Amino acid sequence: MTAFIARSLIEKLVTLFFVTVVSFLIVHLAPGEPAQVDPLNPKFTPEMVERFRQAFHLDRPLPVQYALFYRDLFTGRSVSWKDHRPVLEKIAERFRNSLPLFVVGTLLTWTLAFPVGIRAAVGRGGAFDRGTAFLAYLLISIPGFFFAYLLILAVVSAFSVPVLGMETFGFEGAPLLNRANDRIWHLLLPSVLGAGSGIAVLSRYVRSQMLEVAHQDFIRTARAKGLPEETVLYKHALRNALLPFITMFGLTLPGLVGGSVIIESIFSWPGLGRMAYEAILARDYPVILTLNFIAAVLVLLGTLLSDLLYAAADPRIRLA
Amino acid sequence: MNPAPRCPTTACAPPGGPPPRRGPAGAWRALARNRMALGGLVFFAAFAAFAAFGLWATGGRAPLFDPARVRLEERLRPPLAPVSPAADPEGAPPFGRYLLGTDDLGRDLFARMLEGAWVSLTVGFIAVGISVAVGILAGGIAGCWGRRPVRRGTGLAAAALAAGAVLAAGGQAAAGLLLIAAGLLCGLRGRLGRLRPRPGPRREEGWLERPLLDVDALIMRLVDILLCFPTFFLILTVVALLPPSMVTIMVVIGLTSWEGTARLVRAELLSLREREFVDAARALGVGGVRLLVRHLLPNAMAPVLVTATLGIASAILTESALSFLGFGVPPPHATWGNLLADGRRYLFDAPWLTLVPGGAILVVVLAFNLFGEGLRDLLNPQARDRR
Repeated sequence: MTAFIARSLIEKLVTLFFVTVVSFLIVHLAPGEPAQVDPLNPKFTPEMVERFRQAFHLDRPLPVQYALFYRDLFTGRSVSWKDHRPVLEKIAERFRNSLPLFVVGTLLTWTLAFPVGIRAAVGRGGAFDRGTAFLAYLLISIPGFFFAYLLILAVVSAFSVPVLGMETFGFEGAPLLNRANDRIWHLLLPSVLGAGSGIAVLSRYVRSQMLEVAHQDFIRTARAKGLPEETVLYKHALRNALLPFITMFGLTLPGLVGGSVIIESIFSWPGLGRMAYEAILARDYPVILTLNFIAAVLVLLGTLLSDLLYAAADPRIRLA
Repeated sequence: MNPAPRCPTTACAPPGGPPPRRGPAGAWRALARNRMALGGLVFFAAFAAFAAFGLWATGGRAPLFDPARVRLEERLRPPLAPVSPAADPEGAPPFGRYLLGTDDLGRDLFARMLEGAWVSLTVGFIAVGISVAVGILAGGIAGCWGRRPVRRGTGLAAAALAAGAVLAAGGQAAAGLLLIAAGLLCGLRGRLGRLRPRPGPRREEGWLERPLLDVDALIMRLVDILLCFPTFFLILTVVALLPPSMVTIMVVIGLTSWEGTARLVRAELLSLREREFVDAARALGVGGVRLLVRHLLPNAMAPVLVTATLGIASAILTESALSFLGFGVPPPHATWGNLLADGRRYLFDAPWLTLVPGGAILVVVLAFNLFGEGLRDLLNPQARDRR
């Protein structure tokens, strides 16, 4: 076990190193230089550009730039080129905004997908199964931004509540209850949107997993023993069908960073996804690279976590 | 001697043989039973016909539907509105009506949808074509020649080449070219050394010739690295940094989505090459590329086809999302994503500008998804019984 963890940590560190190299190259080999983002701006005199290049090591050779950038990142000294604030501070602030969205979205996904998937598997081929199948395909196929506008149209015209942003502007002095209500309305639409396709995919997966298990011998044995159908389904089948989802839980982690660019832009939600979009627009390389680094770390952590969880849950699996 | 009875079904296929294939008639019958897949196919055919008609009807000197004609006096007309008699009759749409209304510049929405259909179709197919090609290449190499070692010398040469290319592109031309030359030299020397083995007793393996890792591990680590990037964020970054064009978008979508196909092809090949029909082919003297292309790949194509169909759906969605964020196919091309992005400013005054392109994207993507899932059932009868 310890050997497995040690070896996969080393493997993941090597992968992470190459990810940093590749992302650094992608950003720096693209045509156009960050110092000349705005050549028509009269404030950007040649001296200014030169100072800018020196301040951010842009006059050094690429490998040196790479080393300096990641040194700054790990010592927490790297600053955004746009507003000169420390990158980690900016990210932490946006992360606090993204977190409720992520938590509510994930909770919605996991609490809704399982009952729907199990019900569809139990009544396979019935009206509920076919209805949810079509609904799931519909949710997977609808462009997120189009769906967002449909929802905004519906909610705004039906309930006439404001939904853009994190809270209503100028609402700071309102009583606590009203403010909480306001926040919940603002949180509702983006998290439903974020959960939509997740529910669709996950419920289909739950269904096929249940059907997969239902064909195995031990289920037939359980039925042959004369166990009530409830026990067969929920005690024998469901427990075994749940195993792969433990691994999927680790894989939701990266959704924290990359998952919500469009939704956050539509709802003017000041979260990580929107920050990534703004950084790309402004060619704010430190922010882009740091976000990318965090995303890669989350992916690698997620896979490690899912391996470990799987081994913990399934005694047949031995990590060596 | 009686001829061996032909196998009509999958049931009596020999266990070591290649996976059975059904004739076209059987496939049609199975498709007709799966109504969702059939619906998807019908919608897809209609979409392809619409796009082809659009290419013909909006192109040329005097197109039937002119997507670029601006009529400021006919702004934001609702669907089926007649062309007003005062307007310039030249280039007016047929039937004297705007079938789907007009946008904020008085351009005919139906004409723009016609033009955009072709763009969406091209982006979807070419992006997926690129990703499938790269995926099959990488997966094929990993699955077929995966056990070949990558020697330290080769690794060193490749590293020198890559570092040289980076330096040369980063402005240090001299140092970069030197490294590239060194890498080439190193690689060539290794090649030549292997081509003309020296006579005499076998030499000890030099440090440079010891294996570093095998080809399979190399390709799969590459896939792992790519999987660490959040796909949409990566696409967005690259598309935003490069000059905007349709080609860039297709290539970027294609090059960032091949990992799934590569893994699939590799897994299929690893299982197929243990089968007896591969042994039989080997015994007949078939080897290398011919074995891969004629015997292994055709049998590994079924899941790739399914992934490709679903991939087209997601490529169309990605393109429209990029257009929506302003990084899509640049104007004057109309794409459905662009139309939707432009239409949102008139969400309340002219909802058809949002509903028509959004609904069209939804229907097309849904058709591809349904057809892809149906295809999965068709090509994998065992799985169908379980569903």
